[in-house]
Amino acid sequence: MDFQLSAEDAAFQEEVRTWLADRREQIEHTRAVDWEQGGEAFERHREWERALFEAGLAAIAWPKEYGGRGASLMQQSLFTEEYVKAKAPDRINRLGLGLLGPTLMVYGSDEQKSEHLPRILRCDEIWCQGFSEPNAGSDLASLRTRAEIDGDDFVVNGQKIWTSLGRFGDWIFTLCRTDPAAPKHKGISFILVDMHAPGVEVRPLVQIDGSARFAEVFFTDVRVPRSNLVGNLNEGWKVAMTTLGFERGTGLGSPAAFNRMFSELVDLTRREQRDTDPDVRRRVAQAYIETRMFQLNNQRTLSKLAKGAQVGSEASLNKLYWSEMETRMLETALDSLGPRAEIAEGAEAEHGGAVFGDYLYARASQIYAGTNEIQKNIIAQRVLGLPREA
Amino acid sequence: MDFDFSEEQYLLRDTVRDLLGKDCTPAHVRAMWNDERGRSPERWRKLGEMGVLGLMVPEQYGGSGLDEVDMVLALEESGRAVLPEPLVESAALAAPLLARAGGDDLKQRWLPRAASGEAVLTVGLESQPYVGDATADLVLLERDGEIHAVTQDRVTLQPLKSIDGARRVFKVTAETGDDTLIGTSQQHGQWLFDHAAAATAAQLVGIAGALLDQTVEYVKVREQFGRKVGSFQAVQHRLAEMLLLVESARSAVYYAAYALAHELPDASIAASVAKAAANDAERFANHNALQLHGGIGFTWEHDLHLWLKRGKALEWQYGDADHHRKRIADWIYTEAAAR
Repeated sequence: MDFQLSAEDAAFQEEVRTWLADRREQIEHTRAVDWEQGGEAFERHREWERALFEAGLAAIAWPKEYGGRGASLMQQSLFTEEYVKAKAPDRINRLGLGLLGPTLMVYGSDEQKSEHLPRILRCDEIWCQGFSEPNAGSDLASLRTRAEIDGDDFVVNGQKIWTSLGRFGDWIFTLCRTDPAAPKHKGISFILVDMHAPGVEVRPLVQIDGSARFAEVFFTDVRVPRSNLVGNLNEGWKVAMTTLGFERGTGLGSPAAFNRMFSELVDLTRREQRDTDPDVRRRVAQAYIETRMFQLNNQRTLSKLAKGAQVGSEASLNKLYWSEMETRMLETALDSLGPRAEIAEGAEAEHGGAVFGDYLYARASQIYAGTNEIQKNIIAQRVLGLPREA
Repeated sequence: MDFDFSEEQYLLRDTVRDLLGKDCTPAHVRAMWNDERGRSPERWRKLGEMGVLGLMVPEQYGGSGLDEVDMVLALEESGRAVLPEPLVESAALAAPLLARAGGDDLKQRWLPRAASGEAVLTVGLESQPYVGDATADLVLLERDGEIHAVTQDRVTLQPLKSIDGARRVFKVTAETGDDTLIGTSQQHGQWLFDHAAAATAAQLVGIAGALLDQTVEYVKVREQFGRKVGSFQAVQHRLAEMLLLVESARSAVYYAAYALAHELPDASIAASVAKAAANDAERFANHNALQLHGGIGFTWEHDLHLWLKRGKALEWQYGDADHHRKRIADWIYTEAAAR
């Protein structure tokens, strides 16, 4: 047991830290606008992604042959930590870099890899994920968007929902039903769709916090070349499970982000002069305990992975933990503000009601990437070995 | 960075688990309830032979000179097996405290025997009303800001009956003097309390893990409505939550061992995080283990209450969860918790 970084990892950490520190101005310039507003605001974020690309930091996890650095999980974790600490901007192409890219490396054809991977890396293509549908949430395999073969094309009809970055997407990786007669998991294919093709319509979806980070995507007789099929026909479920493994693994829920949220909570209780209230102090201490344990859990998992252990369903424990911890921390912040928490504007408002907004947004994390109830099913059945529900 | 144990450390854990699996079964623990001493000198000697009792005793005094990280898995196993003997008090607290604070004579006299299992040591902290296993050959007693090493001829014991039939707790008064003084609370009090909290947290994690495992096994075989009760989602979700709490507390306990072993600046806070987390995990496991066993777990005949009672008793030892949360809050708001 040793919490010291190796010389190599420490050097990597220093490199990232220095690179980010040298770009403080660009970071602030980028963060000054919300990419969600589109236009110039979005392009600023794309410029930031290009800066990362030019420094070889766009996708450190990718193997060198695909333009990454082949960074170890430890280094990926260090990168995220430094990135969060530097308050660097949202990664607008995280779905391409984090989900589709790695999926193509496993299941993509040579043509798919050479066409898309360099463009993802340079942020020339913004990718969206097209899995969920209005009637296929937790029960994803019941999806109904269909792709029918017509000559050399698929013809796609249907609707996807909860599409992050939908309004800015160039491409979407979808799950479509290609064999309606087969059992529901067996008739699905993983298909790449050009969002600029005729018949694709994107409608912003406004959320309870007022932002529109998601969209609905409609497909009406969209023609997609058959060469855009990833993996085998009707075997898309297997491909999707690989993709979801990447989603629940790294990327989401970095300890550094929650450590920062904790510091902000402490600052808020001080500002509000609630730091002498024993109940507030107890809850803040509990928040400290939870952020510490989350970080330690991560470090334990990383150490196991570094030794070659397979960590699969444990990712569900991770997601369950941070999503509940995040909500609890923000509830403590809101309770510390008391009635002031609801005020959205003016002198009475705390950062324009930002804490309430953050809290509302955080509520999504117990739903997306597999609801916490689904995560508990996975833990019970795959980690504890309990029988499936009859 | 490597937050994992070495092969040797895992091997020691497996060896302890094997021994306790044979010599510390629920039947063995029950046998202690009506035993006057409530302790098995034979089992204690075997732990000595295995090297567990002298793990933290310096080599020159017949131990292995190892540290808290080497010890923590053995402590967890002792919780898992609801070991009646005072492994925490003797091997994880009194022996290393004596090694820190005692004079050479005292160490020569007691440490080799503590390591071999010929002698039992214990500790009595000023903050704790009772002393566990105060019938020990040597009691390190913290009183009025001083720490004394007292033998049985200098103590008066009032035995108290615990709800947990295997625990032996006492009120202790002692004739202390200059000849028994080995140090002050100012020098060693924090070390002692931190180590007591962290070591007890390790046992609590062992108890919580045992409760989880037994409950998982039970719901896999118990049938109602024509199906295994473990197939019901309400049952599965409780057990998933239990696993999450136990694994997270385990991380906290292992880190506390590391922080104490390396005397890191956050060692005290790490010990408090560990105790609060282990308490909360054990409490949740305690509640749900009985609930999911249903009526059978409420019977005297079923072994579940061995873990239920030990777990509850340890929740209050060396600071309950709220005590440790208060300690953490004081640190957050007074010291530089700026991260």
